[in-house]
Amino acid sequence: MNVSPITSWKDAAAYFTFAHSPTMIGVILTLSIVITLGVVVYTFMHENHSYIDYK
Amino acid sequence: MEHTAPTLESLHAMISMSDTVSMEIFYWFCTALMVIIHVGFLAYEMGASRLKNALASGVKNILAFAFMVPTFFFVGWWIYLSMYNGFVPDFEAGAAGLPWSENMGPNLTDNASGIFWGAFVLFAATTASILSGAVIERIRMSAFLVLSIILGSVIWILAAAWGWSPSGWLTKDWGFHDFGAAGCVHMVAGFFALGVVLNLGPRIGRFGENGEVYNIAGHSTPMSMIGLMLIVVGFFGFLGGCIIYVPGEQWTSIFGTPTTLSAISFNTLMAIAGGIIGAYLSTRQPFWMLSGAIAGIVAAAPGLDLYYPPLAFMIAMIGGGVAPLVDKFMTHKLKVDDPVGAFSVHGISGLIGIVMLGVFSGFPNVLEGAPAISFMGQLKSAIVMALLGFVPGFVLSYILAKAGVLRVPPKAEMAGLDAVEVPMKAYPESVPQSPDVVSFGKAV
Repeated sequence: MNVSPITSWKDAAAYFTFAHSPTMIGVILTLSIVITLGVVVYTFMHENHSYIDYK
Repeated sequence: MEHTAPTLESLHAMISMSDTVSMEIFYWFCTALMVIIHVGFLAYEMGASRLKNALASGVKNILAFAFMVPTFFFVGWWIYLSMYNGFVPDFEAGAAGLPWSENMGPNLTDNASGIFWGAFVLFAATTASILSGAVIERIRMSAFLVLSIILGSVIWILAAAWGWSPSGWLTKDWGFHDFGAAGCVHMVAGFFALGVVLNLGPRIGRFGENGEVYNIAGHSTPMSMIGLMLIVVGFFGFLGGCIIYVPGEQWTSIFGTPTTLSAISFNTLMAIAGGIIGAYLSTRQPFWMLSGAIAGIVAAAPGLDLYYPPLAFMIAMIGGGVAPLVDKFMTHKLKVDDPVGAFSVHGISGLIGIVMLGVFSGFPNVLEGAPAISFMGQLKSAIVMALLGFVPGFVLSYILAKAGVLRVPPKAEMAGLDAVEVPMKAYPESVPQSPDVVSFGKAV
């Protein structure tokens, strides 16, 4: 998979993976937000499970 | 081999790039030093926790750091760049801080965004750590994460946009000056923590039925003391990150007023000393002497670029001396359980510091139309910082408390959070982990 937004380093500016593809940036960003918030939700569920014996 | 003489243009380009790289290096190491603040908070809070909660307190601290980084990437930098006027964002100014912006990643035409973002992330993580200490041994991890994300990636950075920015409205309208972020970092986090602690309530066993105050000692005071000293070391990164390296020109404060790193060196060291001595005078107690060092730095922070060093020393002495007294008042009179004195060390010392700079004021600002630093400007700005910290902290934690998800169940608190939540023991081959007996002889 070619993820490079540049074909030459001459006059290169933003060169990070998918910098040329707003769609892919959107997908990766959304996924990372969902995972981050998902871990908080998972932590909440894990706590509820841990507290079963301490209610 | 023929050598051609460098042109004026090529020499200029070389010096300019050398300056830019030096700027990056400076903030890179400031950021690294700020990570030491979190090493300090980690040791400090684990030491201040009873053995049965030592690891859970550590996990909370580590996660606060870890969640701050991505969430600050998602929204924090955009808030800082766009919200300098109040609650209405300037979308054009904020564009470079959007998480999909070309500036928010490797970019050969932008040597500044990443390195400043990195330093600001560490300021954000500091706010979360300030909250973390106040809520040890009884808050639910998930509730803490929600609160720390809101504090670190939204609230403090909004305060920074208002009062710790070249174009923030507090400076533009009231002449607010706060070199070392006593307002947006320390006051906001300290008052936010107070709002949370009021809804969270004290640890079981902290107060008797008739209001008696019982000491709940942490399991390792030496660990806490080393942690506090590491926070003091990390402040050199924190305060370095507060000064703007302008390639080829004199340093400035974040408000654009000229200063030198030399000025900050004078006053930071004098403030550390003043804070320790102030706390020694009022407590004679090593835990508070080192907390006093932090309180001293925070109290002197607004004017570290301006003060005559012995004045910084005396202001810090007031901060370091008053913080433990305020904590005692909060504990004994108001029955507020803030195990590490986060509110007094950060919130009250920050308040003292901002108002003190108002007392010793008169310096001009450089922002067009901004008034000079004044007592009323500092006082009004301090009130804004206090409210911006306290109100969201109180309201959010109130909602979480009402939903029954703010605090761990009493039985879990009694058993200790390590046994309930952490799949390992702090000291598996030495001391028994539980039950834990505190100084008044009652198992808690």
